[in-house]
Amino acid sequence: MSEIKSIGIPTPEEIKQAQIDFAPRCTSAGRVNDKETQGMVEHILNFARKHSLFVVAYGTGCGAIEIPATMTSRYDAERFGIRGAATPRQADVMLITGYLSTKTLKRVIRVYEQMQDPKYVIAFGSCAINGGMYFDSYNTINALDRYLPVDVYISGCMPRPESVIKGFVKLQELIKNGNAGNGEAYRSDLDWYRKNQQKVIKNWDFPDNYNW
Amino acid sequence: MSKLKKENKVLDKLKSVFNLSGEVKRKQRIAVKSDSKHVSSILLFLKNQQGFIHLNHISCVDWIEENEFELVYIVWNPKTKLTVLVHTRIARENPVMENIDTIWDQANTYEREFREMFGIEFPGLVAPKEFILEDWDDIPPMRKDFNSQAYALENFATRPGREDAQDVREVIQKRSGEELPDFAKKYSRD
Repeated sequence: MSEIKSIGIPTPEEIKQAQIDFAPRCTSAGRVNDKETQGMVEHILNFARKHSLFVVAYGTGCGAIEIPATMTSRYDAERFGIRGAATPRQADVMLITGYLSTKTLKRVIRVYEQMQDPKYVIAFGSCAINGGMYFDSYNTINALDRYLPVDVYISGCMPRPESVIKGFVKLQELIKNGNAGNGEAYRSDLDWYRKNQQKVIKNWDFPDNYNW
Repeated sequence: MSKLKKENKVLDKLKSVFNLSGEVKRKQRIAVKSDSKHVSSILLFLKNQQGFIHLNHISCVDWIEENEFELVYIVWNPKTKLTVLVHTRIARENPVMENIDTIWDQANTYEREFREMFGIEFPGLVAPKEFILEDWDDIPPMRKDFNSQAYALENFATRPGREDAQDVREVIQKRSGEELPDFAKKYSRD
């Protein structure tokens, strides 16, 4: 096996030997199994994810008006790889831009659950953090992370485009270190989230389970 | 008086036709008070005879101390640039008001809102029951006896750190030494 005999199709013996050599590194499905290689692959994947953050086009509350300013020529968020995506299934990031009414929360949960992994949530402004000026409103929720997992909170009322970009840079940092993305945590703590969600959404008509 | 000739002419005309009280508030503004039964005929008269063809707004005020709702219909005449405010009061228990979306279509939207936010019924109003709120199961939220903060505390998870949120009215009262009126004390947060 020391010398390469020909450049043609590998002989059955060669294939057998190769399977023995790479056995610890591959599963039967051909996936990379060993930790070191997986870590390397994750590192490359995170690098790619970090620079292509597609934001689902869904604006809630007053902060949605900051998004056009962030995206267009003056602040130009696309230099960070941030751009809009038309549907939740093609998007990586969801922005909760400001206060969330209970009516909107229902739609936001549906949108979040339809997004593909890895998915990230950025919450804008004091309303999403603790209710802000709507803390005693009968129709807006006060703490977003009881209903959806949040990666980055941006403070301010409303945050200016600079702060929005800072929040995205923070998210990129988290992605690079492998700390972002709460889709898995959401699925594992689904009962807790569902309990909180059902307390607010009284007429619960969601599908029983998704094909995650 | 001679300056407000147009305004007084409309008011006198209204007073001669209907049994109502009213006054000229200022230039281009006339306010009349009427019984709730006659509101639709007053509005029809204003629209068809006096040229007040535009319904600006309908607003509702909850006078909880007097146990009444006040509805204000604001109509406008584009030719003379006059505005007429038709005030009327209805009882707060089982409030019912005449439907006027046959006169102006846009009244439908206001009436739906009053039905949801104040619980006022408009017989003959054809519109879906839900307007802005979804799955609402408490008393209508714009009524003064609805405690919004208690509702929010009961239903929504809160983050620690908002306990010191103060009533602005009470803080100002403490600073200025001014005394609060009795009806305001009744709705105090303490």
